[in-house]
Amino acid sequence: MKKELITLKINGRTLELASEPNKLLLDVLRQDLGLTGSKRGCDDSSCGACTVQLDGVPVLSCTLLAASCQEREIATVEGIAEHGSLAAIQKAYGDWGGAQCGYCTPGFMMTVDHLLTENPNPSEDDIRHALSGNLCRCTGYMQMFQAIKAAIEAERKGRASEAQTAGAR
Amino acid sequence: MSLPDFQLLRPRTVAEATELLAKHAANAQIVAGGTDLIPSLRQRLFAPRFLIDLRAIVDLRGIRARDGGLDIGALTTLTTIERSPEIAQKYPVLHQAAKTVASPLLRNMGTIGGNICLDTRCLWYNQSLQWRQSCGFCIKKDGDLCHVAPGGSKCWAAFSGDTPPALLCLEAEIEIAGPQGTRRVPLSEFYTNVGDARMKLQNNELLTRVLLPVRTAGWSGVYRKLRIRGSIDYPLAGIAVVLKRSNRHVADARVAITAVNPAPLLVKGVARALAGREVNEEIALQVGELAARTAKPLTTSALTPEYRREMIRVFTKRAVLEAAAIDQSLPRAQPRGPSTVD
Ligand SMILES: Cc1cc2nc3c(=O)[nH]c(=O)nc-3n(C[C@H](O)[C@H](O)[C@H](O)COP(=O)(O)OP(=O)(O)OC[C@H]3O[C@@H](n4cnc5c(N)ncnc54)[C@H](O)[C@@H]3O)c2cc1C
Ligand code: FES
Ligand code: FES
Repeated sequence: MKKELITLKINGRTLELASEPNKLLLDVLRQDLGLTGSKRGCDDSSCGACTVQLDGVPVLSCTLLAASCQEREIATVEGIAEHGSLAAIQKAYGDWGGAQCGYCTPGFMMTVDHLLTENPNPSEDDIRHALSGNLCRCTGYMQMFQAIKAAIEAERKGRASEAQTAGAR
Repeated sequence: MSLPDFQLLRPRTVAEATELLAKHAANAQIVAGGTDLIPSLRQRLFAPRFLIDLRAIVDLRGIRARDGGLDIGALTTLTTIERSPEIAQKYPVLHQAAKTVASPLLRNMGTIGGNICLDTRCLWYNQSLQWRQSCGFCIKKDGDLCHVAPGGSKCWAAFSGDTPPALLCLEAEIEIAGPQGTRRVPLSEFYTNVGDARMKLQNNELLTRVLLPVRTAGWSGVYRKLRIRGSIDYPLAGIAVVLKRSNRHVADARVAITAVNPAPLLVKGVARALAGREVNEEIALQVGELAARTAKPLTTSALTPEYRREMIRVFTKRAVLEAAAIDQSLPRAQPRGPSTVD
């Protein structure tokens, strides 16, 4: 199949590449761009291991054509870390055992990142609801739940101490 | 698995889309959110030469007020619908139905137009090419027999969308654009109840808008569905109920069912059974009987037809009682914030 030139904005960078029109975003990320954080976990659009954000909203990159994503902002797990160090949620997943085999983790990161951006103080129900489209084969949902709550707490403390330092100045 | 080869076309206006459709008609297929079509392409259920991606047509996104009712663009995502305060307040049954479609991730992608035009589903159809080759093709795709109703020549694949029964109860109309301009059709006249030719849409037409009338605005409503995994699966039986009350009596009512026939269907006789009466357990059960009689489930899915029909009866009864208990004079709880998608 003939390749066509497409332009994608991924993690803040604009990239031009030649790609077949029937190529899924997940395959372009993994095969053409070496961004192997996003995973393929199923063949029927039901697991969420491939979750990326499109204009800030989590979607399944295995169910999207790469060429359909032009002119949109794509964010993958590779873009989650802040200034080279782990984001609060990544650290919390490590601390609380939120990742076991880790295969589902990148997808969860993109979903949780969106949840916390939209709503920094989600209720337990909000968290459970937001996670319901990502599956974990190791079934470590409770640990993830604790990790998310810890990350929220860390953020809150961070904000409070920032405010204090600002006040002291 | 990879997708078959095709050329991707990305119109920016409805006019461009209808032009492309007219040009490529039989060789083209529409994709909106892709959550039904892309998995089907993977399974080689379709092999279009051209895929017409509607996503760039911004005019088809969003919810607008019109004459006391609401217009919903075909590309509006289910997340946007689920979170719209206007819909939750005026058409609660649609809010509830949208909220149960698939998972939050799929609702961020899936559109109302795609939900209405959703392909019908069957155990013998929604399978990989290899699976279908091994077990034998069927009428709906590449074969000439039905595994579900052997000897028959009709396809019984079940229509399994969640929002159409709600829309049928609300007397929604749809707007369709084609080479001759646009036309409006009541949703109740759109489906055929034939599994392999599910809707009355020509291959050079597309759905552009859903129109909700002022008449049914404010009616109380409830949607209930049966599925295997509560967080993601398609309905294996679904029912929508809407009620208009005056004081304690029912003034008007509708019930529609999904996932148990090749089309979503309005249940006949519901308004007659309920009008002028005060709802109680017995009347609710009578309506449940009517709904169960309209349901003709076959072995198209993982649960037995008997169980699915029985759950139509039970869910209808419960939903009628629940809808009757909702106080229409009170403002309803507002869903969370605006969507970030549209
Ligand atoms: C794991 C999984 C679970 C799911 N569970 C549910 C569920 O519980 N309930 C449910 O209702 N759905 C479910 N779905 C299906 C799907 O997510 C939704 O129905 C969604 O609304 C489909 O919309 P879409 O925009 O993604 O459709 P698409 O896949 O883009 O299109 C679906 C069909 O409609 C046609 N079409 C789309 N838009 C138009 C238009 N404007 N004009 C003409 N034709 C058009 C396409 O050609 C295609 O045939 C599920 C899907 C998956 C993968
Ligand atoms: S790989 Fe499973 S949903 Fe995308
Ligand atoms: S940690 Fe193994 S699949 Fe989730």
